[in-house]
Amino acid sequence: MSVSIIHTLRVLRPAAMIALVALIGLIVGFYANATFFPGTSPEQPINFSHRIHAGENQIPCMYCHVQARRSISAGVPSINKCMGCHLEVATESPQIRLLASYWETKEPIPWIKVHDLPDFVHFTHKRHIQADIECQTCHGPVETMDVVSREAPVKMGLCLDCHRKNEVEHGTDCWTCHK
Amino acid sequence: MSNVDRRQFLKLVGAGGVGAGAGFMLAESIKHPVEYLIPYPIPPEEFSPGIATWYNSVCGMCPAGCGISVRTREGRAKKIEGNPLHPVNQGRLCALGQAGLQSLYNPDRLTGPMLQSGERGSEEFIQTTWEESLATVAHRLAAARDGGKNIYLLSEGVRGHLAMLLERFMGGLGSEHLMHYDFAHPHALYAANQRLFGEHALPYYDIRNTRYLLSFGADYLSNWLSPVHHSLGFGHSRQGTDLDRGRFVQIEAKMSLSGAAADEWIPARPGSEGILALGLAHQILAGGSYTGSDFDDWNAALENYSADSVAERTGVAAKTIVRLASEFTKAEPGLAIGGGAVDNHSNAVDTLVAVNLLNYLVGNIGKPGGVVFNSDPVVGGPANNRQANFIAMQQLAEQARQGAIDVLIVNNTNPVFTLPHASGFREALASIPMIVSLSSFMDETTTMADVILPSHSYLESWGDDMPQPGLGFPVAAISQPVVSPLYNTRATGDIILDLAGKLGMKDSMPWDSMEACLKDGWRQIYERSSPDASDFDTFWRDVLVSGVWGEDIHRQDTVVVDKSVIDNIDVAEPEFSGDSEQYPFFLHPYMSTAMYDGRGANLPWMQELPDPMTSIVYGSWVEMNPATAKRLGLLDGDLVSIASEHGSLEAPVVIFPAIMPEVIAMPIGQGHNAFGRYARDRGVNPLQILAPITATSSGSLATHATRVSLTATGRRAPPVQTGGETRQLGRNIVQFTDAGSTPGGHSANLNSIPIVVKTT
Amino acid sequence: MNFIDRFMASWRKYRKPGYYEEFDYAWTMTIDLDRCTGCGACVTACQAENNIPIVGEKELGRGREMQWIRIERYWEGEYPNAKLSFIPMLCQHCDAAPCETVCPVSATYHNQDGLNTQIYNRCIGTRSCAVYCPYEVRYFNYYDHHWDAPLEQQLNPDVTVREKGVMEKCTFCVQRIRQAKDHAKDDGRRRVKDGEVQPACVQTCPSEAMTFGDRKDANSVVAKKMNDPRAYHVLEETNTLPSVVYLKKVSANAD
Repeated sequence: MSVSIIHTLRVLRPAAMIALVALIGLIVGFYANATFFPGTSPEQPINFSHRIHAGENQIPCMYCHVQARRSISAGVPSINKCMGCHLEVATESPQIRLLASYWETKEPIPWIKVHDLPDFVHFTHKRHIQADIECQTCHGPVETMDVVSREAPVKMGLCLDCHRKNEVEHGTDCWTCHK
Repeated sequence: MSNVDRRQFLKLVGAGGVGAGAGFMLAESIKHPVEYLIPYPIPPEEFSPGIATWYNSVCGMCPAGCGISVRTREGRAKKIEGNPLHPVNQGRLCALGQAGLQSLYNPDRLTGPMLQSGERGSEEFIQTTWEESLATVAHRLAAARDGGKNIYLLSEGVRGHLAMLLERFMGGLGSEHLMHYDFAHPHALYAANQRLFGEHALPYYDIRNTRYLLSFGADYLSNWLSPVHHSLGFGHSRQGTDLDRGRFVQIEAKMSLSGAAADEWIPARPGSEGILALGLAHQILAGGSYTGSDFDDWNAALENYSADSVAERTGVAAKTIVRLASEFTKAEPGLAIGGGAVDNHSNAVDTLVAVNLLNYLVGNIGKPGGVVFNSDPVVGGPANNRQANFIAMQQLAEQARQGAIDVLIVNNTNPVFTLPHASGFREALASIPMIVSLSSFMDETTTMADVILPSHSYLESWGDDMPQPGLGFPVAAISQPVVSPLYNTRATGDIILDLAGKLGMKDSMPWDSMEACLKDGWRQIYERSSPDASDFDTFWRDVLVSGVWGEDIHRQDTVVVDKSVIDNIDVAEPEFSGDSEQYPFFLHPYMSTAMYDGRGANLPWMQELPDPMTSIVYGSWVEMNPATAKRLGLLDGDLVSIASEHGSLEAPVVIFPAIMPEVIAMPIGQGHNAFGRYARDRGVNPLQILAPITATSSGSLATHATRVSLTATGRRAPPVQTGGETRQLGRNIVQFTDAGSTPGGHSANLNSIPIVVKTT
Repeated sequence: MNFIDRFMASWRKYRKPGYYEEFDYAWTMTIDLDRCTGCGACVTACQAENNIPIVGEKELGRGREMQWIRIERYWEGEYPNAKLSFIPMLCQHCDAAPCETVCPVSATYHNQDGLNTQIYNRCIGTRSCAVYCPYEVRYFNYYDHHWDAPLEQQLNPDVTVREKGVMEKCTFCVQRIRQAKDHAKDDGRRRVKDGEVQPACVQTCPSEAMTFGDRKDANSVVAKKMNDPRAYHVLEETNTLPSVVYLKKVSANAD
């Protein structure tokens, strides 16, 4: 009996090796994707650089992201906010010309969301801003980024760690965040 | 490991490559799909993303005219609540009102102007532009006006400034034929009020403060006049005051929703309710509590209505008649109302005069808890004098058949569905050369149109309204758009103004838009009412923010009944179609909150709302008494054929404990063959087979005057019922107490989520 | 505290006598059966507020209802003395809820507000909670639901749209409670005022049959109504300690 098992294994060995290599390939491919194409830093329609605006020019976050202290969503500024300066500033730059073309046609700029929470999560910026949490805590050092990238994994662990550490009242109750 | 030859090596490399590719795709597939953040090019001032904005407006789902507050997020309507400040509904809203959102976002809404491209009724239309369609219609109307031909406008019952616009529009066309048609308009009640109280208007029935409500068939909690207001009053009278609990008695042949809420449900022979009322009046006089100067006249007039003779004619025991009269008189005060079936027999007007007489005899006219007259309308004017009764609709059909109507404009009303087949209305429409519809949906009447100029939903339109009936003091409210228009439709008022402009009526209708017309009209209200606001713009804004305006003006009239009316007080026996041998049952078609007159059928929430009395969804049925079912050998779910002299229908049987044995009841609202995916080809429409009998002296259709036969088909079609066992079987789920009242009951605080009000 | 310590602390407190006295709020609803007319406005308001799908005739025919609050009707007697009573039935948010004990993944539990929570992410769809519930107020999503465009524009962004395979039930409109607490914090208040938050059903009831509030607040409307001699719990004998108090219907007979 044992002979037939070894015999079977021997016969199947080529197939087993192929399966093994395929499995190794699967794992390698998976992690290659996760490492080299994490999607944490998508290319935006306009190469807006936070480093220039928030870093060098020290524009406060909430000058543009107006809603952050009063609403659940921080919002992204409308083009008229950009044009407030850029009607005059750096109008020759190709990116500003691109911006101006959106303004001419009144077409909204389709920014790609970097920090995307699922629909079943209730996250309110207002409460966090009013708790004096800096934007950089979750969004990372945005003022140093030329292209916004997702520094912290916006998974439940991030929320829970902070809620536990700061002993947020009812911060670990599921219904605080899950709708 | 043995040697790996080249073929093997290549297989391994291939496997590795495929594996890597698969791994890569796997990782890719579990990533979130890319989401976009799309800001506005210029942010709107009215709202902030993430914060809800509320708008106050007026509900347009039924004629009651409740005030609503609509919660919108990012320009989309999310939830309709009652407006806490509006005195009609005080923050509350019925199921049909809540479903207004599904009327706005209905997938079957008409999206733009259309021209009929096939035969009428085929629902083949082609899209066109507003310029073209308005020009076509204006041109046609001008031709008809210049050629002296007849133009008819058939509208739903509109009030306020839209009613005024329609009046002026038809005036400008030189046409007298402006008709409002609402299926549920209580013509007989208006006629009864005219006869007894001398005015063609509805008073306010103060259910809130009454201690004893005697309702003759009026389903005041579900669809009679102003159901939300009545429900508020009902709740308050029951358990909201420190006084003794209010008592509610319902007299009708089949238990309605109000009958279920009543403390006593008394079945009376169909059509005999007026006789019963006069019997009660006789008892009231006999009791000696009425001390008016016309006592002798009344006594003589009601001679023949002794308890015993009335008991024989109505089927209600003499003892009960005496008791009811005594209770009604002793209550402080009692109130009698009539509607529903009672409004829809051949003797409806006489019956309602008799019912109102009870109020007169106990002296509750003009008092809290009684009948309170309304002051003159403030805005536009009530349209009750334009309401077309059944005779008028038949005359319209006859005129059409004779080729006397050149153009018919239909605004948001569906007579093809609600008129009986015997009227021949649909067929008569074929003889009208041009039919224009302003409806938002492809209902049965709209399928007969040649040109459709679709109107906005009420949530996208400017308008104003005065609730009908009034509350005893002037109230008016503005309806404002809560969302941008979804489709290429226009507000009804704007369509009329545009046509008026094209037809040279700028003098009488100078406004560019409905909003401008409203502002102009409300300037007069502003001037008359000396408000706190320092200028009109502030006043206008205040009215929009609060959603309602009112004045503390009450009429202090007394009523003197004319002697000729007293002498002619009498209630004739009701007439029915069909002989009693061949057609042994009385058909009792009834409206529900959800379907109303059929308008709720295209709203999925309303289709899925179980009927409160039977918990059936998505269909039609016929209710019958258990003894009748046993006698005929019928079980729940057996399909039966119901036939009148004018047609037949099939529907499943539902055994219903609270209906008279010789009466069968069917719900109104289903049986559409157009009107969208949720409504069409579902159930049957009992209005189709009604006999064209009218109520004497009001000319309204007597919907309860049809006798029918009932035959088993041998098939079964059990309706979908959501409820389970309907007997408690000792489970004590609903518990009862004999305690008469709970002193110091509270009404809940009416605050809701804080309203974010944007001021300009 | 590490995970084990936290877990053991919660375990010791949970469902022991008196644990609900430590609630932050104790949300309670009262329903006066003498005022309820059975009109169904609460049912539709709940559907609008909570993104409840339209199940359709076929599924309803299979008994797969989806109404977080339903109107039950009960007949008494026979013609001509038949009487019909209505009772709105919704999740009772029982303090000793049978559904909480049976969930294998703790997707339903009692939170600090006295609410029986339902977390859709955690639910794996065993449906035992629906079996254990004596009031039969839990509803399962047998299918992914579909809204014919543009009906989905009406969906409430504050409430999850559920996928197939998860259980759902009345939440006492927790999104409104959450928002009311948020507004209270904005105003610098610690507590939500009585009457400030009302679930959709309570807000719309035309006969004002329902009230809602915090029974820990002795001045609230619900606290007073709970002491009404007519107050009772449905299926009290199952000892579930529900948070919904019903007021008995008065059967006032003729004199």
